[in-house]
Amino acid sequence: MSLVELRSVVKRFGDHTVLRNVDLNVEKGEIIAIIGRSGSGKSTLLRCINGLEAVNSGEVWVDGVAVHDPRADLRALRAQVGFVFQSFNLFPHLTVERNITLGPRIVRGIDGKAAEAIARDALKRVGLEEKLHAYSDQLSGGQQQRVAIARCLAMSPKLMLFDEITSALDPELVGEVLRVLEAMAREGMTMLLVTHEMNFARRVASRVLFMHEGTIFEQGPAREFFEAPKTEELRSFLGAVLH
Amino acid sequence: MIRDLGWIDVFYLALAMRWTIVLTLLGLAGGSAIGLLIAAFGTSRHVPARLLAQGYVGVVQGIPLLAWLFIFYFGFPIFGVTVPGWIAAAIGLSVYAAGFLGEIWRGALVSIPKTQWEAAASIGLSYTKQLRHVIIPQAVRIATPPTVGFVVQLIKNTSLAAVIGFVELTREGQMTAAATLQPLAVFMLVALGYFCLCYPLTQYSRFLERKLRVAR
Repeated sequence: MSLVELRSVVKRFGDHTVLRNVDLNVEKGEIIAIIGRSGSGKSTLLRCINGLEAVNSGEVWVDGVAVHDPRADLRALRAQVGFVFQSFNLFPHLTVERNITLGPRIVRGIDGKAAEAIARDALKRVGLEEKLHAYSDQLSGGQQQRVAIARCLAMSPKLMLFDEITSALDPELVGEVLRVLEAMAREGMTMLLVTHEMNFARRVASRVLFMHEGTIFEQGPAREFFEAPKTEELRSFLGAVLH
Repeated sequence: MIRDLGWIDVFYLALAMRWTIVLTLLGLAGGSAIGLLIAAFGTSRHVPARLLAQGYVGVVQGIPLLAWLFIFYFGFPIFGVTVPGWIAAAIGLSVYAAGFLGEIWRGALVSIPKTQWEAAASIGLSYTKQLRHVIIPQAVRIATPPTVGFVVQLIKNTSLAAVIGFVELTREGQMTAAATLQPLAVFMLVALGYFCLCYPLTQYSRFLERKLRVAR
């Protein structure tokens, strides 16, 4: 079984159908970039994978857990699936260290020195060791997002989901966040990224998905995907974003 | 038997302040207990619970504290229970404070952005742990300045208990004024007493507001 399997997933918000019969398999170690216009269902797809949104029909399997089942143990699953948000969502009342160790402490029962070591190690991987005792309002957007990534890494996830994580950043801060992602990619992390960074997708992703009106409209290995788009919709989208 | 206003009167006024403080603390304790329920009901997923909380807040905020004090002072004897003024005052203040504290706390809880819940959920915290470690700590920070502000109101409002015969600072002032025929001087002292209680709290509330660390 693949690490992530979506079978005929349908998601509606009221009368509006956001995902129409989406099928997707993600193997361990894959790096998948998801692109598409706003409102095409990219973020919703990502949020359905860790159960932040419940699907209306179809099946979502992640690491053998039936996420679509209302009785699924989503807590245990989420402890293994990192999710990084566009708006960082650090906990502003906690220091960087406490942000990172909240999961290990509460979910895993790791405490004291061991928890601090986890925080230091996670921060080292995003290059922010010196910010251990800072609060989020003392960090730049790029630093906050790297701490948010470290917060996920501290849980040793099997899968990481990134929801437009550079979209809220000033242009000069995007690079430092993308470099962290590239390092994770090199270490073999399985990653799904909703992104507008086409160059990054082309360079790092193993597969790119183009979402259009709630479906995965076209997909393929990064190189062919960008060089020889098959559908008119993808050509027109690429034409609009690559100038 | 008119006598001069002397140090002994100042001393008695100062002593009466402790009943103002006790009454405030009783109202705060009772008001917090009921207010927590109101805040919990007000943020509940169940519609009837929310309606109950809204109804309570609407009724309490729509009726003046003086009326609540009369309701409990004159209401209990109808059921054959005569309560001393201080108990009626404490109950009236509690009911009244709960209507305001409950609404302040409910507002603080719902003001925490949904994304904070999601971030907490996405690292694997249960609903109650999300509340305990992420939502409530931030809501407490948001709610503390307005809560302290309301306590200042509550201190001053305890003066209404004078009308049902409870001898706190204002009632002591009325009696001293009657005995000395120097109402202006006496009530200046009474005002000074309230000021000494309230001003430090107001400053404390300002201080707290400056060091908030919460999601906006």
